[in-house]
Amino acid sequence: MKKHNGGYFRKILHVDMTGGATRTEAIDDEFIETYVGGRGFAVKLLWDNLIKNGPTDPLAPESMLVVAAGPLTGVYLPSSGKNSFASISPATRLFGDSSMGGGFGVELRQAGYDALAIVGKAPDLSYLFIDDDVVTIVPCPELKGKGNLETEGRIRDRLGDHGVRVASIGVAGENLVRFACVTSEWSRNAGRTGIGAVMGSKNIKAIVVRGHQDLPVAEIDKVIEISEQAYKELAAHDMMGHWQRQGLMGVVDYANAMGILPTHNFRDTHWEKSKSINGKTMLASYKIGNTACFGCPMCCGNINLVKEGKWAGTVTEGPEYESAAMLGSNLGVDSFASVLRGNHLCDELGIDTISTGNLIAALIEGYEKDLLTLDDLDGKPVIWGDDDRIMEIIEQIAECRCVGATLALGTKGVLERWPQLGPIVLHVKGLEQSAYDCRGASSMALAYGTSDIGAHHSRAWTVGKELEMGTDWGINEKTELVIYHQHIRSLFDMFGVCRLPWIELGFHEDFYAELYSAVVGQEYSLEDLLARSQHVYDMTRAINVKLGAAKGDDYPPARTFIPIHSGPLAGKVCNRDEYEQMLALYYKKRGWDEQGKPPITCD
Amino acid sequence: MRRKIAVVPEKCSGCRICEMACAIHRQRINNPKKARIRVTTIYPHPVVRMPVVCNQCKDAKCMSACPADAIYRQNGVVKIRHDDCMGCHACVEACPFGAMYIHPDIDVPLKCDLCEDSGLPQCVKMCPTGAIVFMPEHVFGQAHRLNNVLSYTHMKEIEYMEHGKPKRLHYADNNAAERRDRTEGER
Repeated sequence: MKKHNGGYFRKILHVDMTGGATRTEAIDDEFIETYVGGRGFAVKLLWDNLIKNGPTDPLAPESMLVVAAGPLTGVYLPSSGKNSFASISPATRLFGDSSMGGGFGVELRQAGYDALAIVGKAPDLSYLFIDDDVVTIVPCPELKGKGNLETEGRIRDRLGDHGVRVASIGVAGENLVRFACVTSEWSRNAGRTGIGAVMGSKNIKAIVVRGHQDLPVAEIDKVIEISEQAYKELAAHDMMGHWQRQGLMGVVDYANAMGILPTHNFRDTHWEKSKSINGKTMLASYKIGNTACFGCPMCCGNINLVKEGKWAGTVTEGPEYESAAMLGSNLGVDSFASVLRGNHLCDELGIDTISTGNLIAALIEGYEKDLLTLDDLDGKPVIWGDDDRIMEIIEQIAECRCVGATLALGTKGVLERWPQLGPIVLHVKGLEQSAYDCRGASSMALAYGTSDIGAHHSRAWTVGKELEMGTDWGINEKTELVIYHQHIRSLFDMFGVCRLPWIELGFHEDFYAELYSAVVGQEYSLEDLLARSQHVYDMTRAINVKLGAAKGDDYPPARTFIPIHSGPLAGKVCNRDEYEQMLALYYKKRGWDEQGKPPITCD
Repeated sequence: MRRKIAVVPEKCSGCRICEMACAIHRQRINNPKKARIRVTTIYPHPVVRMPVVCNQCKDAKCMSACPADAIYRQNGVVKIRHDDCMGCHACVEACPFGAMYIHPDIDVPLKCDLCEDSGLPQCVKMCPTGAIVFMPEHVFGQAHRLNNVLSYTHMKEIEYMEHGKPKRLHYADNNAAERRDRTEGER
């Protein structure tokens, strides 16, 4: 076994919100070597809890919420501000996690913890304050119903310290909306899989952290040398300026040109009005500043302000590509100001923009196709691009009112109430699809289908690579690419770093293995680390199998098998036979059986 | 020629690379809370991100507040004599910019000394957006002067086409100014 001389505080903080008991669990080298950190630690903690309590309602007190930072979170290297929020998802009732950027994970580490595991339910709405080794649960009934922005500001004021890091839920989390997010630094979200509802179910309005400790680094000189070389390379990259100016908003033009931009509930994948919501429009009239996660030179966050019109005064950090596409083209909204407004409302109320954009789009299409009646919509129609009504529905979702009360249940709840929407809600395992159409690139269909949390892009974003260089690939290459992405991207989440320098600026994977080795003071190769990532992925699968997931849950949304009818990829469709072959090959390559069961079981 | 650190808050993204570069080079430790420069982010009222760092003031409030005379100036840089510092933190309270910092592991306050006056400070070197600059004192205020000039309200504007694209040119019209002078003179 390797001895790790840095990288870890070797402590996991356990908090029981019911009685307020806290304890720290020491972790040893074997634990570290097996699970690495971040998402790896989260999976292990949820695994143990599942064995201890058996499957429970994700919103029950026994359900566990994990916040885990990685061994590289907060280390002097590009884009090290990531941490994972994980739990059994109330949306999919399977494993769920979401990665958050900003500085929350860094602060958690500086308080001396690698991870935080929370069970129980506080008697009153409270915030959990982790002040280095002093942990308190503070009732805060006055914050009930407050938005994320106000909550964060009020807690900072109350503590008289502007430097604390706050991860809070909005009214949607309190109301257990199945796609509620956890928000930090006003608009950095752990957006997907409804972790905000899990926090709400425990009566936790916010987790507040403050720490002062040194992050343990075994070979500091080596870290400085490797990282400064990395910063230098990134600064010299041709695309760096573009990323700093537009961030992910540059992807709108890319997606439209490639024919993967979700438009009108993914019926189209190309939009003639895409210029109204692209990065150039943002730069010309809305952007007032950059934001960045900890240690990141790319500063992909855009702060935007609406200066005139009906949404004047709306200021928001965002949108990035997903939000712009899901609240813009996918809803037929052709005003950037309205997209900003929608983004702002989602951040403030605390709901995921991807899920929200999908469900409202399904509502609009359902009404258009007479699958829903006017009564289902409370007597008020909603059509493509109707921004006033869309904003109203966003608020109704968070407040669980009117039609929003149904949408708030997420795809699974919506389909129970309105099974006729089955063919038009784009989801996998109950999680709505991210803003990349996958019909032109079947590897992406496989990535969505097999993703452990549901149809989320950042588990394996293969669409760009396949469309750019692999249109003649066979199923072998496609399947391998998906598996490689699922492992390397898991590894980023386990380290607590962002994948953007790698995927967007061509930064080499080996850099991370080299850096991790310097931080822990032990030689690790990328292959070593990928093997650990694969093990964690198998564990997630075993958790899902125990919770009832089967082969039937590994298929992309129904619409994937219907051809695109316009745009650059017109006529493209995912071939069902090809998909079946890919899926069988995927299971085989992973060493899972024909039904997708991994070699390990969660017992 | 004296140089100083200046910050351009409009360009700051809040990434805190400056904090890390400072702590890691000066303390040899991976801890942004041991930095001599810190980014303060306020949002959304107002929206601003600003690195806060010592201005090397000519009449330094920290220096006059120090009861132990531990703060002195050397080549224009305000420094702390560690042996004399009693750790009372009066200087931290006295600094009107909050540009001195305390960390429980370190007895003496953390204060920027321009990387011991050894050339380009690390925070300036590592800032990815150009929000921290190091320049001669006599250049200070130039950004504000430039903003002031650019927002000169009597500026004229014409639109024209270049390579088929519409462009705009702004200029201060000399003739218009003379006409204005004449009119005012006649009055």
